Amino acid sequence: MSTSDGRVVLVTGAASGIGAATAALFRQRGWRTAGIDLRPSDTDLSQACDVTDRSGLHSAVDAVIGRFGRVDAAVLAAGYYEEGIDVCEITKAQWDKMLGVILGGTVNTCAALLPHLIERDAGSVIAISSELALAGSATDLHYVAAKGAVLGLIKSLAAELAATGVRLNIVAPGPTDTPLLAADSLWRKADYLATLPLGRLVRPQEIAAAAYYLVTEGVMYCGEVLSPNAGAVI
Amino acid sequence: MALVTGAAQGLGHATALRLAADGFVVAVNDIADDGRLTDLAGRVGGLAVPGDIADPDLVTAMIATVHERLGGVDVLVGNAAAMEMGSFLGQDPAIWWRQIEVNLSGHFRLVQAAVPLMRAAGGGRIVLIASEWGVSGHANATAYAASKAALIALAKGLGRELGPQGILTNAIAPSYIDTEQLRVDAADAGISLDEMRQRYCELVPIGRLATVEDIAGVVSFLAGPGGSAVVGQVLQPNGGVVRTRA
Repeated sequence: MSTSDGRVVLVTGAASGIGAATAALFRQRGWRTAGIDLRPSDTDLSQACDVTDRSGLHSAVDAVIGRFGRVDAAVLAAGYYEEGIDVCEITKAQWDKMLGVILGGTVNTCAALLPHLIERDAGSVIAISSELALAGSATDLHYVAAKGAVLGLIKSLAAELAATGVRLNIVAPGPTDTPLLAADSLWRKADYLATLPLGRLVRPQEIAAAAYYLVTEGVMYCGEVLSPNAGAVI
Repeated sequence: MALVTGAAQGLGHATALRLAADGFVVAVNDIADDGRLTDLAGRVGGLAVPGDIADPDLVTAMIATVHERLGGVDVLVGNAAAMEMGSFLGQDPAIWWRQIEVNLSGHFRLVQAAVPLMRAAGGGRIVLIASEWGVSGHANATAYAASKAALIALAKGLGRELGPQGILTNAIAPSYIDTEQLRVDAADAGISLDEMRQRYCELVPIGRLATVEDIAGVVSFLAGPGGSAVVGQVLQPNGGVVRTRA
């Protein structure tokens, strides 16, 4: 008998990095897992879908509910990263795509999932933002803006639904060791890591642990930003 | 091995029980032992170390006792707090500064005494219990709010300074917790404890107060494996209470 009582978590961006680590942790704790990503994920129900495809995402979320009968929690980790672009050089296409995937994907997933959670008057949604949106960054302004928009969106949704049993919160990871950081990323440089109090990148498992904690024990959080960031932003 | 101050009742008591359930041997402190502390020590497999943390000699002796009897301090939870409400101009300065001495200075000295042990052990966790009032302030609670805001800043500074030594410091800023401590608030407002609870519930967007177990759970996260990358942060399990009001 699993201790999770058959609870179901939906993870976007489940094919790699933080999303994959999150799905793995929840599964380890006895949850059933549903993954949505461009590529297949190691989850109980893996669906390929682009989070910018609003109606496709709606169908994918419906399929999760159709398969499992419920969704108890969602971790919204779908996203990508670009660095080293001067603010004046960011093209319209780069801007639109980043906003579309990170903010739009979050909006679309919430729009598809929240009606179900509200109807059950229960559920926990964790959006993955970034420590870069807390204190700012350089040469990745479109990413920073998109991750920052997620903060405002989720805090507002949390306030909007505070009187219900649905909770929304945010995990803002510090620089994390995932494929989003290329081998030559400035966040992997030794002289950058030396500036962090913990002197190292965050592990995706540490972000998964924060999401799991908020979902399973975070009853008093409402629009909280929890940032496991190795001290990058204090 | 964990040390929790202010453990005779309320949040400290719940925190000691939770850390024991997590596998820690817990030393428990409160200003005096009327039997509750010894009782609790028995339940958490540890040690009762009563005394006023505002007394520097007591702090030194307490850490020495814990070191000798339990081997060290891996997790320090600074929870003890004095609170007396009153108007800024009207409150006796001795009472105002006493709250700073206990809440801030006492824990500062406790951290100073515990850190060498944590360094020798290769690391540790420090959790300072602050308050939403330390984030937002509150009328008739200037000393308490100042002391709690200071603990938040101290957590950030300690986070930066001790992080490279494997010691992770964080603060928790809860909002209203359903404990006997609310009697202080009720007395200041001139209403009953139940009316105070009701009034506070109405201020919290999710419509309920925290239980001591809710907040003990936050300590558990920060003290445990899940908190390994969390440093210098202020966790706010406040039910959506907003920092400022227009």
